[in-house]
Amino acid sequence: MIKIAIPTCGNGGLNEVMNKRFGRCDTFTFVTIENNQISEVFSVGNHAKSEAGGVGIQATQIVGNHKANEVIVDFLGPNAANSLKALNIKIYQSPGGELTVKELINLRLGEKLELISSANVEAHQGMGRGQGYRR
Amino acid sequence: MIKPKIICVTGGKGGTGKTMVAVNLAAMFKNRGYKVLLVDGDVENPNSYLLLNAKLKNKAEVFYFLPKISEDKCDKCGLCAENCASHALLHINDCIPIPISTVCSGCKLCYKICPKNAIEAYLKVIGWTYTSSAFNIDLLIGELKPSEARSATIVKALMEKLEQITKTDKKEYDIVILDTAPGAHCDVEELINHADLVIPVTEPTKFGKLDLVRIIELINLLQKDYKTIVNRSSLLGYKDKFLLDLEESDIEILGDIPLDEDIVRSYCQGIPLMENKRKSDKNGAGYESFNEIFERILEWGDFLK
Repeated sequence: MIKIAIPTCGNGGLNEVMNKRFGRCDTFTFVTIENNQISEVFSVGNHAKSEAGGVGIQATQIVGNHKANEVIVDFLGPNAANSLKALNIKIYQSPGGELTVKELINLRLGEKLELISSANVEAHQGMGRGQGYRR
Repeated sequence: MIKPKIICVTGGKGGTGKTMVAVNLAAMFKNRGYKVLLVDGDVENPNSYLLLNAKLKNKAEVFYFLPKISEDKCDKCGLCAENCASHALLHINDCIPIPISTVCSGCKLCYKICPKNAIEAYLKVIGWTYTSSAFNIDLLIGELKPSEARSATIVKALMEKLEQITKTDKKEYDIVILDTAPGAHCDVEELINHADLVIPVTEPTKFGKLDLVRIIELINLLQKDYKTIVNRSSLLGYKDKFLLDLEESDIEILGDIPLDEDIVRSYCQGIPLMENKRKSDKNGAGYESFNEIFERILEWGDFLK
């Protein structure tokens, strides 16, 4: 069984698009996969999203407390990357663009996503209204 | 015992001659019979001792607190993580919290509030302090370990040492000169905060002016009395224009030091230009400017009483 957490916009869910910012997303959508099929979907609000600092760590806490063992991310900062690694949560890189949770899960099941092991943006790139800058 | 007068030499821009000025001020005060302590607070590049041909002595480690969690004692309650302002403890329900050292501020709150005393202090060496002495000037020097980021901790350690020295030492310093790093950041702020008089050193270039304005902004925020020294004032013939520009910007000026080969020579030899024992041209441009500046400092700081 794998449980994948994806940072999402709005209320989250299978048809919602991914939020490019990990620590400052609106919601996390958790998708459980059993025998290559989706068996459970739920979303959780991200209370850390508007805090000044340490959001990557707090967001990882939400992901960990809901027992996800994988995440799919677009932009990922160093604190989030270190925290996810400390919890042995696998990090998959989204190919970018406006993809929905469902599309991302299909890419994951088709083994089309790349595993990454470190941050792809500098600290605090997710702050403010702009999007992060990918290296 | 009278508290020593503390003079902070700073300046925003790097390479303007802060340390050169600090060392020569120290020498001039010493020549007049004052007992002087020079504190090098440029902890990323401490080099004042080189200008005094001094050797570093009494190396002492500076530690930084990081939490280390004892797995035997921790009952996984998460109180530490909940209360950590920097969110430097990653706590998953029913698991032992994981310290994220890169964001830890070293505040020790977790260590103090843990109901099971499960947090131990892991003291990491992030730098050193040294003392030294040359030409009858005592030195206190801080050095940040390369690759470490928390330079303010070293500056704080220096200020604690300074407090101890001025409180208990029988030497009773009359003058303490603080030499800061370039910039207008927290290391510089800490040192300016301890000073009675602040002397920013600049140079007659656009870069010099910009960084000077920034450091004066910080000095004003800290409500300190300052006067500026323009070093290398004869550079490219901008002196008059630059001094006028500073005056028009309501920037207080203490004096200027022209380009002078004697200064360069003293810098390379490690014997301050204004050191009594040095055989330098007493009519040289640098020598005269330093003397004029020194007289103005004596008046400014009420040292003549």
